Amino acid sequence: MTTTAPVTDTVAQVERADRTLQVVLIGGALAALLPLALGPAQESVAIRVLIFALLGTGWNVMSGLGGMFSFGHAAYFGLGAYSAGYLLVEHDVSPWIGMVVGAVLAAAFGVVTGFLALRYKLRGAYFALATLAFAEMLRLFALNLDLTNKAIGLNVPLVRGSSWWKLQFPAGSSNYYWVGLGLTLLALVCVVLFMRSRMGQYALAVRDDEDAAASLGVDVMRVKLTTIALSAAITAVAGTFYLQYYLFVNPDLVFGNSVSIQAILPAVVGGVGTVLGPIVGAMVLGPLADLSAGLLRNPPPGLDFLQGRSGLDIMIYAALLILIILVLPKGLYGSARAWRRNRR
Amino acid sequence: MADLATVAEPAAGTPRRRLVPSVPLLVTVGLVGVAVVVALIRTGSPATVRQAVLTGLLLGGVYGLVALGLTLIFGVLDIVNFAHGALLTVAMYVTYTLSDRFGIDPYVSLLVAVPLLFLLGAALQRGLIDRTLGQPLENQLLLTLGIALLLENALLLSYGGVPKTVNPSYDEPVRVLSAVADLSRILAFLGALAIAGLLYVLLQRTRLGTAIRAVAANPRGAQLVGVDVRFIFMLTFAIGTACAGAAGVLVVPFVTVEPTIGELFNIVAFVVVVLGGLGSVPGAVLGGLVIGLTEQLGGIIFPSQSPLLSVFFVFVLVLFLRPQGIFGRRQ
Amino acid sequence: MIRRLVPLTALLALGAAACGGGAPATTPGSETEGAAPSGPIVIGALHPLTGGLAVDGQQMADAAQLAVDEINEAGGIESLDGAKLELASADTTGAAEVAQSEAQRLIQDGAVALVGPYQSAVASQVAAVAERNSIPFVIDVATADSILNQGYTYTFRMQPNASGMGTVGAQYLADLAESSGTPIDKVGYMHEQTEFGTTVMEAFKAEAESLGMVVDPVISYDAFQASDLTTEVTRIKEAGVDALAVTGYYRDGLLIANNVAAVQPGVQAVIGIANGAYDLPQFPTDAGEKAEGYLDANYHPDVTQDGYQELAEKFKAAYGADIRTPAVLSYEAVRLIAAGLEEAGSVDRADLREAISGLTFETIMAGNGPVEFDEKGENTNAVPILMQVQSGTVKQVYPADFAEAEPAFPAAK
Repeated sequence: MTTTAPVTDTVAQVERADRTLQVVLIGGALAALLPLALGPAQESVAIRVLIFALLGTGWNVMSGLGGMFSFGHAAYFGLGAYSAGYLLVEHDVSPWIGMVVGAVLAAAFGVVTGFLALRYKLRGAYFALATLAFAEMLRLFALNLDLTNKAIGLNVPLVRGSSWWKLQFPAGSSNYYWVGLGLTLLALVCVVLFMRSRMGQYALAVRDDEDAAASLGVDVMRVKLTTIALSAAITAVAGTFYLQYYLFVNPDLVFGNSVSIQAILPAVVGGVGTVLGPIVGAMVLGPLADLSAGLLRNPPPGLDFLQGRSGLDIMIYAALLILIILVLPKGLYGSARAWRRNRR
Repeated sequence: MADLATVAEPAAGTPRRRLVPSVPLLVTVGLVGVAVVVALIRTGSPATVRQAVLTGLLLGGVYGLVALGLTLIFGVLDIVNFAHGALLTVAMYVTYTLSDRFGIDPYVSLLVAVPLLFLLGAALQRGLIDRTLGQPLENQLLLTLGIALLLENALLLSYGGVPKTVNPSYDEPVRVLSAVADLSRILAFLGALAIAGLLYVLLQRTRLGTAIRAVAANPRGAQLVGVDVRFIFMLTFAIGTACAGAAGVLVVPFVTVEPTIGELFNIVAFVVVVLGGLGSVPGAVLGGLVIGLTEQLGGIIFPSQSPLLSVFFVFVLVLFLRPQGIFGRRQ
Repeated sequence: MIRRLVPLTALLALGAAACGGGAPATTPGSETEGAAPSGPIVIGALHPLTGGLAVDGQQMADAAQLAVDEINEAGGIESLDGAKLELASADTTGAAEVAQSEAQRLIQDGAVALVGPYQSAVASQVAAVAERNSIPFVIDVATADSILNQGYTYTFRMQPNASGMGTVGAQYLADLAESSGTPIDKVGYMHEQTEFGTTVMEAFKAEAESLGMVVDPVISYDAFQASDLTTEVTRIKEAGVDALAVTGYYRDGLLIANNVAAVQPGVQAVIGIANGAYDLPQFPTDAGEKAEGYLDANYHPDVTQDGYQELAEKFKAAYGADIRTPAVLSYEAVRLIAAGLEEAGSVDRADLREAISGLTFETIMAGNGPVEFDEKGENTNAVPILMQVQSGTVKQVYPADFAEAEPAFPAAK
């Protein structure tokens, strides 16, 4: 699903990246004001959007920008959550440090598994299946190892009051939102800088035509592994944030298949391969769950049979996914951007 | 494109054809043998291992049937069909409804469910999947994923998440070589083999089968000689879906019917397809048996781990060491 | 630059609106401080009203409502001038994250206490929320020990926890062996592999060993993915054990019963420990003849009490179904909170917590006495009782105080 033009005009690329950066920063500043307008219940929806956005951005780096389709991003998310969780629960280490450790661990895992997969020339569907298998294996390990407290999962010990060092605030505090927003903005800036950098340019080149890039002297393996590492790190950060916000993780919650799907959806809906696509996608998908839950709780007249049933929210996701692929394969944001470009 | 497309030709001048089993096949059988020995040592109980082997083979037959449809679709259409498990679940619910509302025996439901799933598959392919022809792989993967989620949750919405059971009254345990198995599992196994056999005959001995294999080998070439490729695509997808449907009906008597049960079979089917070789019918059956045995023996050899772990371990090994599977050709 | 800003702001506004549109309109927080409430006292209930566990979840919400209605009809909370109760029921959908945000919402809307949630993972989440918001949370059903090992002071549990069930279950088995003169020296254990099954098994094993029994082999299985456990049951058979203990949920419990009937392991009895299948009336219906003689040491309402019979009739009349154990616990949990309110004479959450922690609450659940909580929030008198399937019906058989019939031991399979 390529959306960016082939790498021919470096100057235009850099200009675009700069503009995206400006958008990100200004948008971020505006978004920081949001808690003043939102109530606590809506804030939790906003935080869910942020987690989606982080997840989607992480996935997009590897699969959209790097062209390596991943069906097992839950692996990195879970590694981020469990590393920080383990360090916090067993060794009282600050989640900020845990976040870094998690990111490093996830990147290492990504590099190792990516190396194995690429060395054996797995492509396309095979590669995707391999990522799926790895995520599942991690889940099964977490389920059966004492280290991860098996199926019980990890509970974050509660802290009275506010603690930035322990990344824990009173329930409903807007600090969570700002931390999540900060992390998302940081991730976006990293992605933009990556795309501006030589490595990022190589990544796009490799995605578009691997053989051509190789023949021009690009170290394909190195480029791909770097892309995977960045993708894994961002996703792991999302995992740590999730742990600190929900205060509890278990193997199914963070290594489960649904997480891998949630990593894919925002980018596909917004625009695979674009920097802002996952953000747009997250903003669409995040509130959807709440809306459909509300619908199921109090169905409007005529849809009474919906009362007390579940599955509607995912049906809406799925229908949206299908529609986007058939009608707008570039995603909402991606298509809008292409349309605007064509108009100029 | 693996077995579907190959037609064994004796080399010019050779007086006889020697039937030499391929090396990967021997290796696989050998490894399974090793696993059995290890299991024997681990438990010190031949009876337990006998039971594990029987259960594994019977379950494996069903895995093979599910994988059959998947491998056919991939071999011909080049699509990894993530909706396969969901379609299987649809067949299960059809069987449940027929049994619950009209008291129809599950095995009789085959006559209804299989054609229904055939039509559903054809409709999905022609209506949705065909539109992504020529688009990148990800689009097709995501489309089938979307269809899977839609189907599963439509079932959840309609039937609720409470697990349902269908228990035919004649389902009694049967002794097989001093191990025991339910009659329904044996019937499922035999049914799977029968359908695999039918499919093999269809592909190898009929004109339609030849057309399908031709499209699998070379779609453009097939078109040039007058094969309606788009029609073959639709037909193959429909046949593959019908196989999933048959598998769904056959397993209903011994599994609980719930919307997410297809997901389990889905993942295992992928492993089987990769193990057996994408596009290979014998590969799917053999792969299924091997995975069934892996699951059961793995559960004995590593008792504290989930048996599924052994399956994934095998999966990863195959992906790295021989991604084309037992009967596949190197791409 | 400005051109880019406009669509972005529009997008953000849309996002905010969508966030707002999704969440239900929040009413300004009702009184949580002070003694007398201005309106009805809200109790929040969190149960899986949709999804795979909805059958029990729905019953639990209904039973909680029944309790609220009963209390209101009897005059409400006396010490608060007859203030009425109101139940705010929320759907956890069986997911921990949803439960967390629903709990927040209920607290925002002014609930003075929470009840729920049926699943252990969900309970962990809600307990954390309760603790951070300093609101009492009474668990109706959730077995995991770990929930109350976090040092929370606002969470209470009425049912026996996992290790309690395992320990007492082992004692019951030993008692039965002794009183019937059938030696049980070796016990095989099959348990589902998550925290629930593992904790119960470990407690059972420790107690059994201290009573002179050997627990071996111990086989864990994946309750959600297992479709055939014949191999596992064959291992039990080969090990030559005297009894088989099983901990799991309904689906796998039924599966094991079927596999046991096929393999015929030759044990003196099959005993469920906190088993989700063997004390359910549905089990003999689904398993038929095979269910005969199955034991289960589990939490259970005391059917010999009139209070239970009345409840069962009322529930049947109102909702058309037989009430199941989880729902009875929800009913009792609401009554407990009401008793706490009576005692506290205030809707202040801290006062309520104080009151609940010091309560002595008579209950229709089977136990060693009235409900009394220790410093962790566990009910010190919570104890499982032994049930057995006899002639197609589930009967309470042990201890004698609760017995409807004599236990039939051995009940060879």
